[in-house]
Amino acid sequence: MNDGPLIVQSDKTLLLEVDHERAADCRKAIAPFAELERSPEHIHTYRLTPLGLWNARAAGHDAEQVVDTLLEYSRYAVPHALLVDVAETMARYGRLRLEKNPIHGLVLASNDRPVLEEVLRAKKVQGMLGARIDEDTVAVHASERGNLKQALLKLGWPAEDFAGYVDGEAHAIALDETAWHLRAYQREAAESFWHGGSGVVVLPCGAGKTLVGAAAMAQAQATTLILVTNTVSARQWKDELVRRTSLTEDEIGEYSGSVKEVRPVTIATYQVMTTKRKGVYPHLELLDARDWGLIVYDEVHLLPAPIFRMTANLQARRRLGLTATLVREDGREGDVFSLIGPKRYDAPWKDIEAQGWIAPADCVEVRVTLPSSERLVYATAEPEERYRLASCTHHKIDVVRSLVESHPGQPTLVIGQYIDQLDELALALDAPVIKGETSVKERQRLFEAFRSGEVGLLVVSKVANFSIDLPSAEVAIQVSGSFGSRQEEAQRLGRLLRPKTEGRTAHFYTIVSRDTVDAEFAQNRQRFLAEQGYAYRIVDAEDLGAEA
Amino acid sequence: MSTTGFRTLADQLRSWPDERLSRLLVARPDLATPAPHDSAQLASRAATRSSLLRALDQLTRAELSVLDALVVVGHTSEAGLATVVRAAPDSVGAALARLLDLALVWEAPPGVRALTAVAEALTQGGGATAISGLRPVSEDPPAPEEVERRLDELSPAARALLEHVLESGGEATTGSARHTVLPEDAQTPAEELLARRLLIPRSGGVVVLPGEVGIALRGGRTTTEPVDEEPPLATSARAAAVVDRAAAGAAFETVRRVELLLDQWGLTPPGALRGGGLGVRDLRSTATQLHVDEPTAALLVEVAAAAGLLATAADPDGNPAWIPTDAFDQWTAQPVVDRWATLVRAWLDSPRLPGLVGSRDPAGKVWNALAPELAGVHQVESRRMALDALAELPEGEVLATGTGVPSLVSRIAWRRPRRPRTRADQVAWAVEEATALGLGALGGLATYARQLLAGDEAAGLATLAALLPQPVDHVLLQADLTAVAPGPLESQLARQLQLVADVESRGGATVYRFTPGSVRRALDTGWTAAEVHDFVAGVSRTPVPQPLTYLVDDTARTFGSIRVGHAEAFLRADDEAALTELLHHPRASTLGLRRLAPTVLISSTPLDVLLPRLRELGAAPVVEAADGTVHVARPDLLRARTPREHRVRAAKVARETAHAAHAVTAIRAGDRAESSRSLSPGKPAAVLTPSGSMAALREAAEAGETVLIGYLDNQGTRSERLVDPVRVEGGSLTAYDHRSDDVRTFAVHRITTVLPVADDP
Repeated sequence: MNDGPLIVQSDKTLLLEVDHERAADCRKAIAPFAELERSPEHIHTYRLTPLGLWNARAAGHDAEQVVDTLLEYSRYAVPHALLVDVAETMARYGRLRLEKNPIHGLVLASNDRPVLEEVLRAKKVQGMLGARIDEDTVAVHASERGNLKQALLKLGWPAEDFAGYVDGEAHAIALDETAWHLRAYQREAAESFWHGGSGVVVLPCGAGKTLVGAAAMAQAQATTLILVTNTVSARQWKDELVRRTSLTEDEIGEYSGSVKEVRPVTIATYQVMTTKRKGVYPHLELLDARDWGLIVYDEVHLLPAPIFRMTANLQARRRLGLTATLVREDGREGDVFSLIGPKRYDAPWKDIEAQGWIAPADCVEVRVTLPSSERLVYATAEPEERYRLASCTHHKIDVVRSLVESHPGQPTLVIGQYIDQLDELALALDAPVIKGETSVKERQRLFEAFRSGEVGLLVVSKVANFSIDLPSAEVAIQVSGSFGSRQEEAQRLGRLLRPKTEGRTAHFYTIVSRDTVDAEFAQNRQRFLAEQGYAYRIVDAEDLGAEA
Repeated sequence: MSTTGFRTLADQLRSWPDERLSRLLVARPDLATPAPHDSAQLASRAATRSSLLRALDQLTRAELSVLDALVVVGHTSEAGLATVVRAAPDSVGAALARLLDLALVWEAPPGVRALTAVAEALTQGGGATAISGLRPVSEDPPAPEEVERRLDELSPAARALLEHVLESGGEATTGSARHTVLPEDAQTPAEELLARRLLIPRSGGVVVLPGEVGIALRGGRTTTEPVDEEPPLATSARAAAVVDRAAAGAAFETVRRVELLLDQWGLTPPGALRGGGLGVRDLRSTATQLHVDEPTAALLVEVAAAAGLLATAADPDGNPAWIPTDAFDQWTAQPVVDRWATLVRAWLDSPRLPGLVGSRDPAGKVWNALAPELAGVHQVESRRMALDALAELPEGEVLATGTGVPSLVSRIAWRRPRRPRTRADQVAWAVEEATALGLGALGGLATYARQLLAGDEAAGLATLAALLPQPVDHVLLQADLTAVAPGPLESQLARQLQLVADVESRGGATVYRFTPGSVRRALDTGWTAAEVHDFVAGVSRTPVPQPLTYLVDDTARTFGSIRVGHAEAFLRADDEAALTELLHHPRASTLGLRRLAPTVLISSTPLDVLLPRLRELGAAPVVEAADGTVHVARPDLLRARTPREHRVRAAKVARETAHAAHAVTAIRAGDRAESSRSLSPGKPAAVLTPSGSMAALREAAEAGETVLIGYLDNQGTRSERLVDPVRVEGGSLTAYDHRSDDVRTFAVHRITTVLPVADDP
């Protein structure tokens, strides 16, 4: 027996006892290769996955280090089969290399001939390869660089990409650190990315991903294409870049549904890129409009499938992915790995919070009991109607009102899914509402007013989920969501987790109808938050007055 | 070696002390069953072909080579043997001693000789022996110098031919060669050899190469290679502590997995195939469930069955299925080390071949796990030999990866040369299975496994216990509704926790998750919300998170909690209203319900009728035990009966030893009976009248003398028994029977002769 903080389970999960004296060391040691799955208060769960191990391999860790780390920190004997599996999995990465050959251009090379033979016989790969140059080398069609990497990952033999990048069109960009400074972890993230060539930086919402992007641009000193989720977020990027770097308004172009500017730094939305007319993507040429030296993908976990396909053709350019989570609801983590690159930097939320960069949050689930009349309607409703019925009960409005009243003077967001409900709420609370049909201009005005404190209460629909910086929000009240998506929960919580003045606690309320499908979905959310380590309480609406 | 000689093997056996005779019977147990009458019968049994072949199977290459040399050379001395066997004289002596002990060779001055039957067995009926490929030397052979001289005279072609004949079995056909020529007239190499009697003609144009020539060709020895060098094992260094830890991890996993396996099968038993095995699909799903590969799953299933924890029984639909036995329940209550020991003992004694599962038999049929035919007679011995060979490795050394197992195979091939068929597989399986079960790891045996194999089970298990994770009595509760046990939970606690929470991840630690379903399950088995709260608070080292408390209350809110006892057929519930409702239910009138207290009802209906009726009425009753506690046992768990008797190795050894001692006594008695006959050769055994025999027997009883009686048994078979009469009464004789080493009763009218014998010489 070894008094370590780690317990290695045979199903490849690692349990880390947080209160153990060596827990911090252990966390640092396992972070490169294990993915943090849950971080509740006492025991954190990590998981060993092939992708995680390959990420570690890409970062220069070898199997021996991983095995030694597990043995060193493990409290009990480590299952032998698991160690063997780790070594075998890690050995698979880098057996194949993509290289630049002075004569033949892009080639796939390997020292391990049986692996190369195995791969060459795979049907999927055959079409992407050219002539066999010698026993260990095969020519690769330059256009298939991305597709080949994707296919090889699926075969279980991820290739290491040494083929290098084009420098792109040079453009001077510098950080303008007069009134502020790059935080240590942001600098570290940007440097890790730069050394790795391409890859993904994982940082929680509010931890300043935009600045990591800016720092990477300053490193690249080249024209940059930034892909973001929506127009509002595009504007925020632009403002932030103007404020934090030497770039001027004229150097930054927006490429969205309304404006189509191509400038040295261009910010485009996913939506415009994936617009399809007559079966073609008319805006695809943007990718070739300039000789981009760097491509930044904001919110990689939301990257739509067509962008993946386009990205496959951009393998010669440096790519930086920014995200709060590598978990994709569609399970395409492997595509992120092969097309954008391995994870280059990762910091657990809680650690960043402890450094004071993001506000601690108090999560409360408020359960309202449906009156029997509404229960009857609910019970006889069609299954697809049930969620809407349950989440739009009028009782929630009273609860929202009393919650708003219990936090006087604190900037509050009310977030919902259904427009009717939001309109009703806006009316009841006498607050402005932002929904899909609200114009971009009006949205920006309202957000600005909220930021400045002019408006203290805002009712927003899911359009606000992504990348809108509302750092002043201290209270969020969620009345309905899209069926318990974990990703949505991360986004909404992210609204609140921006640095607060005076280190005040943010409050995150979710109002659910008891004994309905609404409560079932809420369980998903609850689990996600608890797994992220947030204190979570459940109270009945009737007890609310007493507590507050 | 003693210089005293014997006329026959029987004579020699007669002269042996009891202890040595007993050793022979233990080494060759087939000789002792049934107990031989006397030494002569023992000697003749020892020479039967079937018994001999078994004895030969036990010999090492060195012993076999010595025996072979003895067969080739014939009657010779130990010194003579040492000169022809290519081995150190010491090892020749040791080998010869073993051969004598096994009664394959006996002392016949001026030397030793092999049993004639041994020669036949080894030469397959007069040809060359299987080991050295030589034929027995001819009668009255020429002196070795003479043979040397003749060999020197040969032309190179003749010499080459002779060597060729030697290497191809010592026999050849000569074709047109003349058999009777003088050396000077020889024209062909064959004739040269025939003329010098280096090849001897036999009928049918066949010539053979006599043993002495073969020996001379091999430089005076029966073999060209030394026979007493055991093949070395290919090893590499590995710290014993690392091996121990890794193996202990596997041992712990084995126990955990078997428990998980049988828990699962108790709920949803897999069907037994018509032939008795386990279906391929069932094995595959089991492997997935246990997070192991299919061979390991097959091993675990086989070991569980061998340990008597798993057997076939009819499932609820009446189809044969594999179901855990009731021994499993006792097993789960034991500490981990004892459970592991049970599994390992069963594995060591099991002739099963789980390594074959998944491969195809010669007929192309896939071997199924648990199929009755999946066993090999030599499996136990082969496995044991492989483990013993591993145990001989010095501490800190393990089999080298890659080359280690083949070297182990060749060492065991040296120790048991006569059983070559599937040995490579069997040895590899033994090593793999031992690793999977946690007897060893990384190609070596763990310290505790060595102790266990050396017979010191207590010490071995103590060593293992120190390596295993200590059972813990608490869990850590977390806000995401999980409970983590940071080590193996105490068995009772684990079972309770499994009831109120679902297991999410297993291993050194266990992760449980509370869900509404799991809490309801606990409530289903009779827990109240308060009990769940108490239990959770009691096992947790950390404060109970609010969401968990809320979950339990919320689940209990919708759960009706009524209990029914079967001693007085009472119904009680914390919920008074529920009872009132029940009491006044229009369809409950026939149940004879009566209210005793606000929370207690009694019923005049028998429990087995009452329960379904109550359920029809929408209640969810739970049966209480007589002492007021609730049965936590889940009624849906199935149990099969433990297979009759699972024999423990120690008991078997004791039985064999006892049997050997018994047989020795019987042989001695027979010998004395025989010798008493030969002591009074002239005096025929008097046939006595019944009254005469009564008198003689009484007399002997008085005097405490030994008599030889002739006795006709129930089948009318006549036998002679050497007995010490104790008393004669009621037409029967009670006497101590030397043969059976026991006091027996004989019917006097069946006694045909009574013959006084001299006391023990």
